[in-house]
Amino acid sequence: MNQVSTTRIAAVAAGLMVAGGTAQGDSHGITIGYAGGFTGYLAPYDQPSLNGVQLALDQINAAGGIMGMTVELIVKDTRSDTAQASVVAQELVDDGVVAMIVSCDVDPAVASGVMAQVAEIPSASSCASTPTLPAAVGPYMFSNYTADNLQGAVLAEYARGQGYENAYILLSRDTPYTEKLPEYFGEAFEAMGGTVVAVGEYTMGQQDFSAEVTNIGGLDPSPDVIQTSAYEPDFPAFIKQLRAAGIDTPVLGSDGIDSPTTFSLGDVAEGVVFSNAGFASPGSALEAFEMAFEEKYGTPNDTVFTATGYDLMMVIAAAIEAAGSTDGPAIRDAWDNLENVQVATGSITYKDQNRVPVRVVALNQVSGGERVHVGDFSPDPSMIPAP
Amino acid sequence: MEILIQQFVNALSLGGTYALLALGLAMVFSVLGLINFAHGDLMTLTGYAMFFAIGAGLGMPLAVVLGIACATLAAVAMERVAFRPVRDANTATMLLTSLAVSTILHMLFQNLISARPRAIPVPSWMIGAVDVGGLAIGVIQLMSITATALLLIALSIFLRRSTLGIAMRAAALDFPVTRLMGINANAVVATAFGLSGLLAGVAGVLWLAQRGSVDPLMGFLPVLKAFIAVVLGGLGSLAGAVVGGFVLAFIEVFLRAFLPDGWLPFRESITLTLVIVLLLVRPEGLIGQRENVR
Amino acid sequence: MNNGPEHLLDVAGLEVRYGAIEAIRGAGLEVCKGEIVALLGANGAGKSSFLNAIMGLVPLTSGRVLLDGEDIAGEAPEAIVRRGMTLCPEGRRVFANLTVRENLAIGGATRRRAGDAATILTGMLDRFPVLAERHDQMAGTLSGGEQQMLAIARAMMSAPRIVLLDEPSLGLAPRIVDTIFEMIAALQHHGATILLVEQNVDLALDIADRGYVLASGRVALAGPASELLASGDVERAYMGRD
Repeated sequence: MNQVSTTRIAAVAAGLMVAGGTAQGDSHGITIGYAGGFTGYLAPYDQPSLNGVQLALDQINAAGGIMGMTVELIVKDTRSDTAQASVVAQELVDDGVVAMIVSCDVDPAVASGVMAQVAEIPSASSCASTPTLPAAVGPYMFSNYTADNLQGAVLAEYARGQGYENAYILLSRDTPYTEKLPEYFGEAFEAMGGTVVAVGEYTMGQQDFSAEVTNIGGLDPSPDVIQTSAYEPDFPAFIKQLRAAGIDTPVLGSDGIDSPTTFSLGDVAEGVVFSNAGFASPGSALEAFEMAFEEKYGTPNDTVFTATGYDLMMVIAAAIEAAGSTDGPAIRDAWDNLENVQVATGSITYKDQNRVPVRVVALNQVSGGERVHVGDFSPDPSMIPAP
Repeated sequence: MEILIQQFVNALSLGGTYALLALGLAMVFSVLGLINFAHGDLMTLTGYAMFFAIGAGLGMPLAVVLGIACATLAAVAMERVAFRPVRDANTATMLLTSLAVSTILHMLFQNLISARPRAIPVPSWMIGAVDVGGLAIGVIQLMSITATALLLIALSIFLRRSTLGIAMRAAALDFPVTRLMGINANAVVATAFGLSGLLAGVAGVLWLAQRGSVDPLMGFLPVLKAFIAVVLGGLGSLAGAVVGGFVLAFIEVFLRAFLPDGWLPFRESITLTLVIVLLLVRPEGLIGQRENVR
Repeated sequence: MNNGPEHLLDVAGLEVRYGAIEAIRGAGLEVCKGEIVALLGANGAGKSSFLNAIMGLVPLTSGRVLLDGEDIAGEAPEAIVRRGMTLCPEGRRVFANLTVRENLAIGGATRRRAGDAATILTGMLDRFPVLAERHDQMAGTLSGGEQQMLAIARAMMSAPRIVLLDEPSLGLAPRIVDTIFEMIAALQHHGATILLVEQNVDLALDIADRGYVLASGRVALAGPASELLASGDVERAYMGRD
């Protein structure tokens, strides 16, 4: 615990020192920028992403860098503030970065991405999963994370495969993720012949789901499955109150609940199935990543955002290698044509995907406080709801 | 009918937590005129204390005691370190100080513990429901209602019977004259903070039992709700804070339960609109008095 | 100056400043044990500032405040109360949402031993029987005169060596004021020492032993009550320099 804390502080401190303005574009190295929310509400996502990025960077530099040049990372904190996100992105542009990693949330990601777009520097959000993000900014903006519509389709396919006919959806309009993913699920579920019997809404952090749970208990027909992209603290509160009310309908979640909390919930979470970016089966690249992570940070990895951060750094390296140049437009074109880049969570393809990558979606089940691999899925593209 | 009673119990349980938080906020406001926005972070401290206590193998009951003690001591320390030096400054200064304390705590939690949530496993017996006259009432709900009732009774005895309790109510009405009674201002203020910490600690335990994890920013939303409850009940009125907490919870739960689907996206706006309407009808709050001359 | 033990309260060279405004400019007075001393003056002459400053409610810029020979200048009000000087503030300021019983209880908060407080309480209820009748009523529901009695009784609950009364006649009907002043005089007979601030010159000098007149923050006039009452100088001091 202590070890990782000090590492984190060192990382943030180092980031701040670099941000202080010592680093300029270095003709002998390659500079990558990360404008992330390392403090504030995005810290739970951008901090682990940064840890993954730095692990990837260590490995890349230990293996001789990119095109023989060492890679340097400039880290700047947006404080999870959208206005600050565009300011620090401009600073990174001025620092001469050749590619930029931006925040996990859509709004600051757009704010930073626009700055990079204008400077013709390719950028990607660490873990924003809204499929429309790259199009909203322009040709220099990429997604990294598993898109919401992809996850929704995989979950719907699984639900229909289990023979569920009627679904209840619980969504929150507070973020695109908690709103759209359940909607994509519902769209795909109905396209595959199922029925959405009711849609519930919650406010993030509302904590008390008694009203919703009482309503679910009174539904006719009662649902065969409940899908939600609520994550903590909402998901644990919801499922506890759901099970306490004696409702044992299966629950499908998405990657937001891939957290130690979910596995510590005990009986109430038993049997919950959720999608995420990969399962660390023995001998897999993800297992190797987990081991390397624990070696570097002294603590077991507890979120997939580290792995997807690692993946993104590997994708950027692959794009620069493929471009054979640190020229922005060249990197962008190479990035847009990447195929089967081997990363921690499997493989990633950007070619012909409008900058929203195809990557594996794993389904996991909570069983006895452990995670069990249900399988890896890549659904028929025709079944993926249009963004 | 059954659903109606069920929702009533739901509102009572949520209202209890709101009431405890609001009462803590009101207690400090009544003696200092300060809305302590770091109040919610005391809940977060409870959570981390419980997390580390459970991690150290101390077991749930001890973790709960430590969690509540931690919030209480932290509240007293907060007063001593941050608020006492600015006690005679104007309201804006104190408000900004409380926001600064809150922000500093967030930074410390994020960088010294983790930005990611930390799990607090709740024993499985707490997750079930008990049958009360045909109604399924969650164990956590029942605990929440019981704890709120007991704490409110104990506090009310303290405030009515003990000299310090009477002094706190007196200080809420007229601080300078309370000092003229020979009551130590620091003792009153420290007690107010200590009690607010105790209340936040208990509310924190109930909140954490529902959510199952603690994260650095978890105190923000509840303190906002408590603030609404305090204003609704009447700024400076302790009874008002409790009533405000329950009224807010009833509005929230019943709107979520009975609004037609198409209206659901507007439930928060409707809640706040109702609060504003109540305040327009009773600008001094539900229980509040007209402003005392200070 | 010689601070004989007969001076229970000895204030000299008191200065109080609110920003650029000098409210008290070097005023002083003495109160001997068992005396009623009246502090008079027009509105804005600085009477309340004087009391608040020696009680520690507002900071004093300079000056000496000796209570029974000990310097208490600049101490916190609660500390001064514990030393034996208390103030019954202007406008009564009873705790409106507390019962009469609670108001009195908190007045006696400095009496550590419950027996002490109970004895004093019995004495107060004997002296102010209306408070016994209204014991469980909220103080805010009392009439103005009853509130003033409560305020005085509450101040006396700490068994002070000296009590400062600030404008006890304020806002009360003449008949009630007479009753209040009779009670103040009765307090003296039971051994209380009182510094009385009043606008009602005749009434105050009627029960006082000595008087001081403040004008523009200074003592303009001082002397035995009977002389002040007879001379007519008080009127002149009221009109005096501003």
